[in-house]
Amino acid sequence: MSAALPPDGAILSVDGLGVTTRDRDLLDNISIDFSARSLTAVVGPSGCGKTTFVRSLNRMTELTPGLRIRGTVRYLGQDIYAKGVNPVVVRRRMGMVFQRPTVFPMSIFENAAFGLRIVRADDGEVDRAVAEALQRAGLWDEVKDELDRPALALSGGQQQRLCIARALAVRPRVLLLDEPTSALDPGATQRVEATLQRLKEDIVLVLVTHNVGQAARLSDRIAFLHSGRLVEVGATADILERPREKLTEQFITGRYE
Amino acid sequence: MATATLPGNLPVVDDLRRDRTGHVRGRTIADRLVGWLLPLLYLVAIVPILDLVYWVGRAALPTFTVAVITTDPSGAGGGLYAPLVGSLTILLFATGFSLLFGFFGGLATAEYLAERVAGVIRITANVMAGTPAIIVGLFGYIAFVSYFGWGFSLAAASVTLGVFMTPYVFRATDIAYASVPPHIREAAVGSGARPLQYLMKVATPIALPQVLSGVFLAMAIGVGETAPLYLTTTTVALPPLGFFQPVSALSLYIWSDYQTGFILPIAIHRAFQAAFLLLVIVIGLNVLVRIVASRSRRRLEGLYQ
Repeated sequence: MSAALPPDGAILSVDGLGVTTRDRDLLDNISIDFSARSLTAVVGPSGCGKTTFVRSLNRMTELTPGLRIRGTVRYLGQDIYAKGVNPVVVRRRMGMVFQRPTVFPMSIFENAAFGLRIVRADDGEVDRAVAEALQRAGLWDEVKDELDRPALALSGGQQQRLCIARALAVRPRVLLLDEPTSALDPGATQRVEATLQRLKEDIVLVLVTHNVGQAARLSDRIAFLHSGRLVEVGATADILERPREKLTEQFITGRYE
Repeated sequence: MATATLPGNLPVVDDLRRDRTGHVRGRTIADRLVGWLLPLLYLVAIVPILDLVYWVGRAALPTFTVAVITTDPSGAGGGLYAPLVGSLTILLFATGFSLLFGFFGGLATAEYLAERVAGVIRITANVMAGTPAIIVGLFGYIAFVSYFGWGFSLAAASVTLGVFMTPYVFRATDIAYASVPPHIREAAVGSGARPLQYLMKVATPIALPQVLSGVFLAMAIGVGETAPLYLTTTTVALPPLGFFQPVSALSLYIWSDYQTGFILPIAIHRAFQAAFLLLVIVIGLNVLVRIVASRSRRRLEGLYQ
């Protein structure tokens, strides 16, 4: 695919997205655009649909049987749910990082190289891309001399940054992060946040978090979800200081019931 | 001691030597009792095994020479070369058969089949695993010896024993693949791995040690089985000559030498020698299981957190 990056346009454009189980809506009519070089924090109370939302952006929702998806999600103008689109390819262009570190029982190097190995990249390219991804993930200096060590021997925070590196190695334009620091201690959280701070200069980051403080520190924009609806989206400072909706205000001030 | 001043109706006991029910030593005595009981139960489990090895070894070793494993049986004497080779040959082919159906069946059940179908297959496999060996033997006789016309043969014995071993291999494979942590699968799929790539590059390296352990255990169970072989082959004094020739096995020799022993007491020696050989094979397979398990535990440490 050779679609050029639109200078100011949206990389990812969600229109009327709905996800339903047999008897209820998990997400209802969500529309939001994500433009290049931005970090959008998706916040909201537990069960509001944050996770379902990011998982719908790279077609991970369809791994859960029984979910129906409506609306469109356009990646560089192409509907990822259109007929003929291969979900595997969608997931290769939009990396994902999960709550808990999910390293595979392989070496550090092979973990970072995973996405390249499955597209059969040649060895020279793999070497270059792995080094670059580990640098971008802020892990290179800690592991450059022990790339052959098992990744499971790393600390939780290092494992999470390795997962970020694994997602970055295939040079995605979008990185989806589902509460990436909720299983980490404060020090490790800080290092992951520093990594995200740098990454948002290059690519689109969509960060699901239940931590308003984290959203305040990192994001350009906050999207507040409640009961599967997008209540409000706006610049981080505006949402934090002048929320338009009562629900948003209650949530960010911690008075949410 | 301070009396209760906290809200609520439950009594508050601040005496740290007392538990909630007010007993001082009740719990600790029970704890200590269990602490003594567990090692005792361990002894109860291990003593019969050591006892068995001791008595079989005591009966077999005085007459055990290299000739036992290098010469063929002759009459009530001679060695056990033919049944040893026979047992191992049957085991080889039976393992192959059980892998073909057990491994791929288990894999399909864990990874691909709808939950309802998988449930039916799991129940079937459990029923198969609980089927008495003699019934499997009878099935082998009717199906392979008689209906397919293979006669008492290596082929009939191997396939019958393979049928007997299949549910064990199936169960190990099913559990091994089903217990790959779901977040690992999500991560692989989320990285854009196709289902086959997930299977080959992520799931199999995680599941394989457990599958191997299951296969070795199935082999340890299978190699000593007598009934499936008793009805599908017959004791011969020569190593296997072909697929459709009869083949001997250690377990069959234990059985026939034990019976001969009533008339010709000397025959019992060879029964014990065969028993000793079988024990060595079974213990060897179990040691393999331990090695595979402990190696994989080290490699996968931290994966299931």
